[in-house]
Amino acid sequence: MAPSLGPARILLRIAFRNLFAGRAKTLIIGAILLLGTALVVAGSSLVESVDRGMRSSIQGSLAGHLQVYDDRSKDELALYGGMGREPQLEPVVDFSRVKEVLSRVPHVKRVVPMGIDQAMVATGNQIDVALEKVRADVRRIEAGERDDALLRHYQAHKDHVRRMVTLLRDELRAARALADDQLLQDRKQAGEDLARAAAPAFWDGFERDRLGSLEFLENRVAPQGMEGGMTIVRYVGTDLDAFLEAFDRAYVVEGQRVPKGRRGILLGKWYAEEYLKLKTARRLDKIKDARDFQRRTIAGDEEVARWVKENTTQVKEILYQLDPIQAEEAAARLRRALPSEERDLPKLLVQLLSTTDQDFDRKYAIFYDRLAPLLQLYSIRVGDTITIKAPARSGYFNAVNVKVYGFVHFRGLEKSRLAGVMSLLDLMSWRDLYGYLSPEQTEEIRHLKQVAGAQAVPRERAEAELFGGGGAAVESQRASRIDEAAVLARIARPAKAEDLSARVYSQREIDRGVVLNAALILDDPSRIAETARAVDRAQRAAGLHLKVVDWQKASGVVGQSVSLFRIVLYTAVLIIFAVALVIINNAMVMATLQRVREIGTLRAIGAQRRFVTGMLLVETMAVSLFFGALGAALGALAVWLIRAAGGIPAGNDQLYFFFSGPALLPTLGTTSVAISMGIVLLVSVLSGFYPAIIAMRVTPVEAMAADD
Amino acid sequence: MSAIVSVENVTKTYHLGKTEVPALRGVSLEIHAGEFLAVAGPSGSGKTTLLNLIGCVDTPTAGVVRVDGKDTSALSERALTDLRLRRIGFIFQSFNLVPVLSVFQNVEFPLLLQGGLTRGERQRRVGELLQAVGLSGHARHRPSELSGGQRQRVAVARALVGRPRLVLADEPTANLDSTTGATIIDLMRDMNQRDQTTFLFSTHDQKVMAHAHAVVRIADGQLQARETLQAAS
Repeated sequence: MAPSLGPARILLRIAFRNLFAGRAKTLIIGAILLLGTALVVAGSSLVESVDRGMRSSIQGSLAGHLQVYDDRSKDELALYGGMGREPQLEPVVDFSRVKEVLSRVPHVKRVVPMGIDQAMVATGNQIDVALEKVRADVRRIEAGERDDALLRHYQAHKDHVRRMVTLLRDELRAARALADDQLLQDRKQAGEDLARAAAPAFWDGFERDRLGSLEFLENRVAPQGMEGGMTIVRYVGTDLDAFLEAFDRAYVVEGQRVPKGRRGILLGKWYAEEYLKLKTARRLDKIKDARDFQRRTIAGDEEVARWVKENTTQVKEILYQLDPIQAEEAAARLRRALPSEERDLPKLLVQLLSTTDQDFDRKYAIFYDRLAPLLQLYSIRVGDTITIKAPARSGYFNAVNVKVYGFVHFRGLEKSRLAGVMSLLDLMSWRDLYGYLSPEQTEEIRHLKQVAGAQAVPRERAEAELFGGGGAAVESQRASRIDEAAVLARIARPAKAEDLSARVYSQREIDRGVVLNAALILDDPSRIAETARAVDRAQRAAGLHLKVVDWQKASGVVGQSVSLFRIVLYTAVLIIFAVALVIINNAMVMATLQRVREIGTLRAIGAQRRFVTGMLLVETMAVSLFFGALGAALGALAVWLIRAAGGIPAGNDQLYFFFSGPALLPTLGTTSVAISMGIVLLVSVLSGFYPAIIAMRVTPVEAMAADD
Repeated sequence: MSAIVSVENVTKTYHLGKTEVPALRGVSLEIHAGEFLAVAGPSGSGKTTLLNLIGCVDTPTAGVVRVDGKDTSALSERALTDLRLRRIGFIFQSFNLVPVLSVFQNVEFPLLLQGGLTRGERQRRVGELLQAVGLSGHARHRPSELSGGQRQRVAVARALVGRPRLVLADEPTANLDSTTGATIIDLMRDMNQRDQTTFLFSTHDQKVMAHAHAVVRIADGQLQARETLQAAS
């Protein structure tokens, strides 16, 4: 038989006409395929977009493209935190070697040293702040200044301190009524100090010994106001200049960069908002955010209403900050702005903070424009020097003082906890906190020990050797301790703490020393896998004992969540298409069985088997392609509509990170369309297969059967 | 006159589970070009089996069936199909038109399978045949829009369109009333006379039988006799 288009044409004609003839069947099969394809297209576009968002979030904020860390580490690297604690990594003793070796690997653009940890930080103390003001006044008075404004402020500042002390004493008394004997014993000295500071006699005698009185307040009373003044800060110790250059998402939002080679910290802006900001202001921000971005209302949302209520009941925090002069000014401003006839500041504050959906925006503006300039909104300010205390690996607490140069934000991740909680600390301070020493320092100490005839004690056991174990007591001490390791470490250090902040470290000093891990930035992000292998070969050749992981692996649980999304999506897709397969197969088998006579006739008349099977396959594939394409279009439309509607809003901090911004703007992935069409075709061929076999087995004899 | 079909001592046995059902038991028959032959017999006598064997839709258990000189047992499935396509036309008891195709397309169908003709040639040939069967005005109708007699006339046209040497009709009038049945048989005979196409049809209806040139009677899988009838005009 000569090849001819005739059979093909008639085949298509019969196939398509059959589709229209069996409309119900075609529509049912079509609907299933339509939904399936739409889901695949929209779903995988979403997952791809999340993947892309996360990729840029993770790569651009902390991970880079690859990470290396010591392959003898107990835990795996988890840049965004592991399960409830920081992973334990074996230190990389000399970063400069790593940098030297890995920089030479093709496509590696930058090698950024890192060490991530969390530690306690004192968030400042209202009494300290108030005392600082008094001390400044005293300094001027002692210097002979006597103008009225100064004296008036001096009196106000003293009154402020006195009021705080009185409040503290009252709190302690209230606690005493509830406490047991042991606590009373422990707090005996504190109680006596407070009683003395709150007594009129102390303030009457203040002027006779201004400096002595101040010292008493600073050393004995202020520490008692510390309760709740500690918070945890999570930071990455790094070469700050290299970090800010390598991670384009990080930018200084307030203050400035830490000058090159200096010690200093850039606090995470998100962290500052969440943990360091005046709670009243923070709650106002949250209410505003809920109203503006989450379409919640004070009237209609319990949580938002609770924030408003908390703001009205907790004005004490604001009052506590204001000295009498400031308090008077604040009251005057509020009376004008609200406006109100009220004389009493606490009541004015309640008026200001008891907001409704109608007046919230106006009162929010009043708070920030009129009241906030009188307040210290953040417990740590740019320019402050803070003390960070971290447990070193030995179990000691090391403490360093670092200057806060500014706040750092991660672009696109402004509201994300995962990125925003991170602060950036200079590498030298980080090393001090860990008790890690530079190779030179290690060498020097070894030398000193030899000279002193000291016994070699593993660092982990040093404490036990020295004190006979138990580190808990150390933590409760606030004053700097003296311990041998620290002293030994300080011997190697040329300068005192005050001088350290001014010291400029050379790049060599920064590089030569301990890190925990390092981020690699590539010049071509599409070559991650290939470069990872090259890096691994290079580190192996140099004997560096490094483990090379990609950004996704390095980000721990966070990085794996995209894989999880994908698994969930594809499982759903798999189920849908498996169901589709069964249903389509079933429908086609039924349809084929109903057409046995017709098929037999075609065969009798002279149609070959392949004509018949071809006809059935064309039927299923035509349905699949048509409805598959329609479904893909529907999925694309869904993606487009989501974009047009402004994307999927990130309802919480985690989503904000996954979406790499306030909303997920999905883009249609060409691969997702291709994949879905591929799946649809596969399903149609598979489901058309069995009916086609049935059709092939139909003999022309079937055509002869009589009607019954 | 050479035999277009020769059946030599053919047996055909069907298997129904473990029991063997003999449908044909040693049948011999020769059909010559231009014949208009009826196979008559009660149902279950083996008429349909005989037609299936001659129509190359089935092969004998023993014996030889030659169609157009070819031993059907020796042909592959594909070759048999091709033989049916080019040499044999079929008319079925239940008409068996393709429901989704129009009258014209149903008739044109074998030509498309055969290939080789231009669109114009196909149109002319289908048109002529539709005129011959009296359905020129119904070319665009679907089978479901036609009466039983009209459908069978479409089937006759379809059977003849490929210019077969042999047309097989298995009980072509069984689903029609007797008047319509008679006109179908007359139509078939007209075609037989017009083109000298050989016709073999089965029936159990005496009145239909009377229109044939000759009748072979079959009972219990065996041919009884071959009678030449004078009834033909």
